Amino acid sequence: MPSYKLTYFKHWGRAGVLRLLFAAGGIEFEDVRIEREQWPELKPKTPMGQIPILEVDGTIICQTKAIGRLIAKEAGLAGKTPLEAAQVDMIVDGLSDLQVKIVDFFIEKDEKKKQEKIKEFAEKTLPMFLDTYEKLANSSGHFVGDALTWADVDFFSLMFFLKDHLPNDPLKGHVNLTKVRDNVTSNPGIAAWMEKETSH
Amino acid sequence: MPSYKLIYFDGRGRGEIARLLFAAGGIKYKDHRIPPTAEAWGEFKPKTPMGQLPVLEVDGTMICQSKAIARLIAKDIGMAGKTPVEQARADMICDSVEDLGNKLMFMFTEKDENKKEEKKKEFLEKTLPPTLDLFEKLASAEGYFVGNSLTWADVNFFAFFGFVNGFFPGDHLKGYVNLNKVMGNVSSNPGIEKWLKERPESTF
Repeated sequence: MPSYKLTYFKHWGRAGVLRLLFAAGGIEFEDVRIEREQWPELKPKTPMGQIPILEVDGTIICQTKAIGRLIAKEAGLAGKTPLEAAQVDMIVDGLSDLQVKIVDFFIEKDEKKKQEKIKEFAEKTLPMFLDTYEKLANSSGHFVGDALTWADVDFFSLMFFLKDHLPNDPLKGHVNLTKVRDNVTSNPGIAAWMEKETSH
Repeated sequence: MPSYKLIYFDGRGRGEIARLLFAAGGIKYKDHRIPPTAEAWGEFKPKTPMGQLPVLEVDGTMICQSKAIARLIAKDIGMAGKTPVEQARADMICDSVEDLGNKLMFMFTEKDENKKEEKKKEFLEKTLPPTLDLFEKLASAEGYFVGNSLTWADVNFFAFFGFVNGFFPGDHLKGYVNLNKVMGNVSSNPGIEKWLKERPESTF
């Protein structure tokens, strides 16, 4: 097994899902969490001036999804065939598209505009997205095939990130998506990890 | 070999990376172009997984999202990267190209002409050059982003630049030795070279 070193800030942000994937796969990794003040010194050493980065066998990988796919493959969560892998990829890319809209309200500095954007997101953007994704998930609570994949973990991760920004549980009424979330949180590695992460 | 049907609008846009990869691999596929009418798209849209194009039908299963599609074809033609780490390097290049592409979306969404001109200037002078500096370091002297042979990372970069040049005529890769080699490696791939000559004309 290669040695893995993940570097990101302390918060959930973009690396939350990556730490979950290591946990789901029972894969040892060095979980480096830097302070904001350390970032300017690290930035020029990264491939594209961004984190998260993953150092593996002397190579640096950037871009959350590239890293996620690599860990998912190691953990057996990337899909069982090339076609399944493509289905996992498309679910993750769709989540990424939604994340762009989240970042848009997250970084809005004008408080009034921010609240407007959050309202639009919560009332229009997210419900439409979840209606689409409800159809893409199957009744056993998986996006691809009949076993946990990175697609399910990524969906959970984004919903977990969102829950502090929304007044209600957006998955209410979405039977398949609620099952996806349950399947992820009941994965033993993930359950143990979440217990540790959220207990302070 | 699976049967492939690519469905997109009648243009290069987000569909071209798939077409370039099929060409590079010499793979036969159905290049279905939806006519440019509201009815044609309106009729097809609900049949797609996420209400978007491109879509690739593989033995009857629909895959959406242009990079998920491109990666699947790249695996089929041996251009996805030879090891998981190489594949991750190819993925990171393609995701970074996509990030850069997202910074160009204002070309479609900015309605105020003056603001649009300001944003064009900012893209060409402030956004593009430092990003190209980073890509130049990631490309090898032989002109490959990953290992020492053509991967979809190189082809994707090439496709993206076709997009940039369409908006901003001029040689934006002037002085970028490695990146110019990447472009040359892609355009001289026999299958791609043939496709570039024969592909249908389109406005985007």
